[in-house]
Amino acid sequence: MTDAGHELNRLPDLWLLKAGREQDVVVSSRMRLARNVDGFRFKSRFRAGEGERLEAHLRGVLQAADPSLQYASMNDLTPTLRELLFERHLVSAEHVNDKHPRGVAYSSDGTTSVLVNEEDHLRIQVFAPGLELSELDRRVNALDDALARFVAFSFSERYGYLTSCPTNTGTGLRVSVMLHLPALSFRGEPRAGQPVEQGIVKVHKAAQKLGLTVRGTHGESSRAEGDFYQISNQVTLGSAPEKSIADLASVLAHVIEYERNSRSILLKDDRTRLEDIVWRAWAILGHARRISSREALAHLSALRLGSCLGLIDGIPLPTLHALMVTMRSGHLQHRAGRELQPRERDALRAQLLRETLARTPRV
Amino acid sequence: MFRSCDRCEKPATVHLTEIKGGAKTERHLCEDCARSLHAPQPSQELLKLMKSFEPAQSLATSGATELARACPECGMTYAEFRQQGRFGCAKDYEVFGEDIEKLLKKIHGSARYTGKSPKGGTVEGGLRLDALARARKRLVDAIEAENYEEAARLRDEIRRLGETPLVSPSSPLTGPPTPPGGGARGASGS
Repeated sequence: MTDAGHELNRLPDLWLLKAGREQDVVVSSRMRLARNVDGFRFKSRFRAGEGERLEAHLRGVLQAADPSLQYASMNDLTPTLRELLFERHLVSAEHVNDKHPRGVAYSSDGTTSVLVNEEDHLRIQVFAPGLELSELDRRVNALDDALARFVAFSFSERYGYLTSCPTNTGTGLRVSVMLHLPALSFRGEPRAGQPVEQGIVKVHKAAQKLGLTVRGTHGESSRAEGDFYQISNQVTLGSAPEKSIADLASVLAHVIEYERNSRSILLKDDRTRLEDIVWRAWAILGHARRISSREALAHLSALRLGSCLGLIDGIPLPTLHALMVTMRSGHLQHRAGRELQPRERDALRAQLLRETLARTPRV
Repeated sequence: MFRSCDRCEKPATVHLTEIKGGAKTERHLCEDCARSLHAPQPSQELLKLMKSFEPAQSLATSGATELARACPECGMTYAEFRQQGRFGCAKDYEVFGEDIEKLLKKIHGSARYTGKSPKGGTVEGGLRLDALARARKRLVDAIEAENYEEAARLRDEIRRLGETPLVSPSSPLTGPPTPPGGGARGASGS
């Protein structure tokens, strides 16, 4: 593990560039465990100097448990780098904006990160492209077990792992899967004056009954921009973690089928309309001179759908996934090497999109 | 001029003008919404949930002392926990006792842990599964699955651990008593 200073020695890899399972619908999978260290208060009640002591302690523990992880203290990083780590989902929004002593340890391939002094003392998280729950389960628990050899976690046999928020008590496990559901989000024409219920509304309702949540891609209370949604488990107490994972997987299988069927129906109903949306998106992304991230995401979503349905060829999904991250302001500013005004960012974003898409062959 | 909050019905007392990308947007918010938009807060659902299960007597008589009960470790009172939705330290779980038990049950549908233990092994329904408990549970499972060979093996294991099996593979439910050894194999074939 190496010191980060004011720069990161090595940026984590952009793992979204790799292909994954069920990737026509599933963008990525994530698992995290919430853990706290026995003998230390939770963040909101730290004594003077307790946050610093705990960060230093956990940094040592992380070094011992997995020497391949690189550690960065968040307060040492520039605002741009903090944002960049957030855009890669390696740290949370809370971790970016907080002032407490806090840090992040991450693997060079960017698929593992451990947040120190976030809402809980440790948030251990692992990622994978596509749907990959068993592998993530194995990885996150291996790291958790390695850490448990060097530090005593707050744990009771009655309630399991004791966390700062009662919604995480027990396993501390949150499994989240990011899905692209453009067909289920599609607003159909009203029939006989009645609005047609979007498929996504049904997914919301069904998920709620099963103790799952559906929300936007950057976690709590974020909006589902570009028709990207995150489905995750809510229950962490009472049910064995293997069961939570299996339950989520079975619901996902249904949602994936539902989205695929809805796509086929849309295609059959009015292929030209879909083609029009997809090729307009291609035209705008290929020619715009200034574009906001929200507009770009909407068009990338259309291209993604077009690519999955074979309406437009030669645009690999991982390229689109990577663009969704690299077009965001932290990445653009990091690339430019300085802070950018919103107008400059929009221009640089448009340039990045044009150049990247110009390199992808299409039919 | 009276103006209601953009997000709820309360009067707006916070007025924000944001200029972003050359476009000006105005927002009018009540104090509560303004606070919730600008500071990380526990989710509204959680706070609602916490209020909903409060006993009716909470603020009246004995409730006041309950709410003022403070954790000796971190000083957090139950009233503060209810307001913030976050514990101050792990000891709060013990100090706030029954109330936490009810809250966890309300949130998760259960207040008993099942999963791994950091000390190794597993916990089921809030109880550590030791070798004996594990063998007993597997014995029940084996009988249910009509796997009598395995059941006989587990029965012997439980006896070796110095206990009498609570459920025996040779109980009236599962057929006639069988001598150890070959008898069990015969049963598994049926």
